[in-house]
Amino acid sequence: MHTTYRESIHELIDGTIGAIRRTELERHLDECAECRSFLADMKAIRQATDSLEPLDPPDGVWLQVAGRLRQEGRVQALPTPTPSRAPRYAVLAIAASLVLAVGIAIGLLVTQFRTPSGPAQTTAAAPTAAAPNAPPETVDVESVEAEFRLAEQHYQNAIAKLEQAARLDQAASGGDNALDPQTAAMLQKSLQVIDQAIAESRAALRSEPLSASARDSLFDALKRKVALLQDTIALMNEMRKGNSAGSAQIVDGLNKS
Amino acid sequence: MALVERCRRGDLAAFEELYKAHAGKLFSVACRMLGNPADAEDLLQEIFLSAHRKLDGFRGEAALGTWLYRLATNHCLDYLRSRAARTSQLTDALDDERGHFEPARGGLAERSITRMDLERALAQLPDGCRAAFLLHDVQGLEHREVAEALGIAEGTSKSQVHKARLRLRFLLSGAEGGGAV
Repeated sequence: MHTTYRESIHELIDGTIGAIRRTELERHLDECAECRSFLADMKAIRQATDSLEPLDPPDGVWLQVAGRLRQEGRVQALPTPTPSRAPRYAVLAIAASLVLAVGIAIGLLVTQFRTPSGPAQTTAAAPTAAAPNAPPETVDVESVEAEFRLAEQHYQNAIAKLEQAARLDQAASGGDNALDPQTAAMLQKSLQVIDQAIAESRAALRSEPLSASARDSLFDALKRKVALLQDTIALMNEMRKGNSAGSAQIVDGLNKS
Repeated sequence: MALVERCRRGDLAAFEELYKAHAGKLFSVACRMLGNPADAEDLLQEIFLSAHRKLDGFRGEAALGTWLYRLATNHCLDYLRSRAARTSQLTDALDDERGHFEPARGGLAERSITRMDLERALAQLPDGCRAAFLLHDVQGLEHREVAEALGIAEGTSKSQVHKARLRLRFLLSGAEGGGAV
């Protein structure tokens, strides 16, 4: 075996041999049966290799990968929208319909707690006024507590989804609807004030679980946060559309609120 | 927005797109490296989870496909290293017993090589050689890309592929009549 020609034969198989070496090799192959046999074997191996088919993994592998990524919190439930205009409108439309639907549900629930003569407040106040541990009224109080937690959860869900919608829209914009520093600072400060009010209302409710005023304060704060997030999304939408008048109107409203 | 950037942002749909584009190629390599589809499935999961974790470190110096091949072959080689010490023995045999690569009987060109014969012979290649051969001769990467994927020099890639072909020639020549394969 002429080992000096082996390299050339491999290059010939790969199609990378230069013209000069190819001529030299062909001349050698005319004279050397051993190298011709080696070349034939290499071609046979290459031909067999070409017949190897690609292998597809079972579908379950992707499902397991996706499941693990979700478990690890490495991916978000909603896909990040692309920066094209249509998907961003879609995100805003979803956010708007979501807020409307949740808002109606919350409105109905909050009305129960807000109405001075409403069943929730009356029932909740009854134990302290009359028989504090009477079983039927205790059940009523627990029921009121459960409804209250449900109403608060609706608010929290709305806030979480609005925050996500705002983040998605901001990410999708690639910065072209970034808020100016002054407005961003104002929004940030408003959010801090509202979060502080939420924290204080919760603290008051912990010490006085049946306090109607503490509940009202909490719902007020949660409602203000929903409204602020709605305005933030609307502002980004107007800025993206290049509507400076609309943006200024929203900012003005935010400053007054 | 680039696919990688969307994956970095936690977009699952983007990562599924990346998975669909590359899973088949990586699974083919993993199957043939490990010789066992069940192990390859488990490893494929780990490869993509690892890819997702490491995407922040992907700077685009290599093509995404080459980067993924590198992750995959590293996983395969780590797995094989932990599985058996015979790997190094085979590598030694490849390096030291050059004369054994000569065909034991007639040339391969005179008979057809079945896919099963080839798969069996591939399974007997030393791990490093097999990885280089699979990437170059089966997956169609250039030596430069194989070198990037395996973290070796381009010349080493060439020599590993050439050694793999010689070893296959030896193994397949012995296959007829129940020889080496």
